[in-house]
Amino acid sequence: MSDGSSVSALVARISGGDQEAWNELVERYSPLVWSICQRYQLSRQDIDDVSQSVWLLLVENIASLRTAAALPGWLSTTTRHEIFRVLRVAHRHEHDDLPPDGQIPGDADAATIEEELIVAERNAALRAAFAELQPHCHDLLSLLMSDPPLAYAHISTMLGIPVGSIGPKRSRCLDHLRRSPHLAGIINQPARHPGVKETRR
Amino acid sequence: MSAMPEVYDDEELLAVLRQALAERQAVPPEFVEAAKNAFAWHNIDAELAELTYDSSRDAESAPSTRAETASIRALTFTSAHLTIELEVTHDSLLGQIVPAQPGTIKVQLRDGAESTVPADRIGRFTIRPMPAGTFRLHCKTSADADALTNWITL
Repeated sequence: MSDGSSVSALVARISGGDQEAWNELVERYSPLVWSICQRYQLSRQDIDDVSQSVWLLLVENIASLRTAAALPGWLSTTTRHEIFRVLRVAHRHEHDDLPPDGQIPGDADAATIEEELIVAERNAALRAAFAELQPHCHDLLSLLMSDPPLAYAHISTMLGIPVGSIGPKRSRCLDHLRRSPHLAGIINQPARHPGVKETRR
Repeated sequence: MSAMPEVYDDEELLAVLRQALAERQAVPPEFVEAAKNAFAWHNIDAELAELTYDSSRDAESAPSTRAETASIRALTFTSAHLTIELEVTHDSLLGQIVPAQPGTIKVQLRDGAESTVPADRIGRFTIRPMPAGTFRLHCKTSADADALTNWITL
């Protein structure tokens, strides 16, 4: 689907013992693990416990992952599995009647989980693409995303560029972003003719 | 899992980019650091021994009627090949490796500090004084079983 090739390259380097590649993988996917933990309102210590287990299990199993594209799904499943274990220890009595494994009570349905994975992949690829933009684009887009928003006049002063050039530069920088190899297969170029939009899923 | 590629206009692309960056910023730095450090275990054969029982969590819903017990808290960690049982007493940590076998226990603190205690012929070990703060145990037995517990805070 996605950025599979760059993830495959990371996985290959990790299997060869490359700590830098591992760090990159963690940068990419720790938000997914974190956001799943947030949803179950675990204590911080339980989150750390879940996280340690997930990443150590990944260290153990990364060489046997079928494809790099399977990685986000593996992380999502393993994180839920570990959350379930922690909840089982924490609420042994209340959950005695639960099946020994599998669904967490109140867990999201399969469609929601899939949607979450798609968004996680897209966001990870966007961050990777954004990090590789040229500095002038990186700075401009960062300022344009400020919260609360900054006036063009202010941005113009900060970057030393004319107000009138901000709009066109913004478009060009976003085009550079769209063309990043990280986003191949995730985000397409806009259709040639304005108003003709591809159907979304 | 697969999705059709999305087509975003400039406004939409900027909005999803903002969301992607905010999602990363919400993750605490030490959470990311700990995950990076997990890689130190890539060439160590230790299996993860996970917390499968904690008496302190049970105790809340099942109040003990005993006025005094030697053990303040009991914890069990389980890996595929080993079980590590821990009992917390007032000044030490008593452990038992199951199945019973001799070995060594490394006590590791978050900051990387490490100390070692032996497990005797039948797998018993004592850690005294109690480790301060958060720690984990790395247990290697003479029969080549090798397990690393979750982080523990007493």
